[in-house]
Amino acid sequence: MADLPPDPDSTTGTPRWVKVFGIIAVVVVLLFVILLLVGGGQHGPGRHTRSDGGHTPPVHQP
Amino acid sequence: MTMTPGVTKLALTAHVVSSVGWLGAVACFLALSVVGLTSQHAQTVRAVYLVMEPTAWFVLVPLCLASLLTGLVQSLGTKWGLFRHYWVLFKLLMNVFATIVLLMYMQTLDYFAGIAAETTVSSGDLGGLRSPSPVIHAGLALLLLLVATVLAVYKPRGLTPYGRRKQYEQRAVSQP
Repeated sequence: MADLPPDPDSTTGTPRWVKVFGIIAVVVVLLFVILLLVGGGQHGPGRHTRSDGGHTPPVHQP
Repeated sequence: MTMTPGVTKLALTAHVVSSVGWLGAVACFLALSVVGLTSQHAQTVRAVYLVMEPTAWFVLVPLCLASLLTGLVQSLGTKWGLFRHYWVLFKLLMNVFATIVLLMYMQTLDYFAGIAAETTVSSGDLGGLRSPSPVIHAGLALLLLLVATVLAVYKPRGLTPYGRRKQYEQRAVSQP
């Protein structure tokens, strides 16, 4: 097998923008998971309505 | 599997239309949610939420799923692949994340529309309708889709370890 010429993509390792994006992605996903856990696994109306709204979320019948 | 040039163009067109259409729909949704949050007229607030629910079900959700599906076809059917380039991988993760959040948030929109549809809406209910939640969700979705669009246009360099291995294998085969 002949020697292969170096490729710019393969020799520079992980680009800086990927590391930045990766950190942001991890933070966003962690925030999302924490919000889900705090809400008891729900991301529905109970989370998004004001406490002074005075309206009980409807119960969905199967 | 690589698609023919004609099919590639068709798939790319479908992906661009669905993705940019999704972006535009979210922008409209953001405008509506700002009106719903800030309007002092009860009928306007109710009308906004009544419009937002079908808009989400019949425009946002289909465009979101179409963008995901056409993106999968576009990446798997071309040299880009799905896991070879970081920008493609990030776009996939962003699309899947946005789809999950949107589908979960539909429950909230159904709830808001249910309140708005009631003929006797009290001032307290209107206070509940004037939630910043749609503005926050639509704003973050717009930001995410703008980033995805920038990634798609600029296609920043960077191969994943899997992509590097595949590229090396292909070049080894083509240069024995």
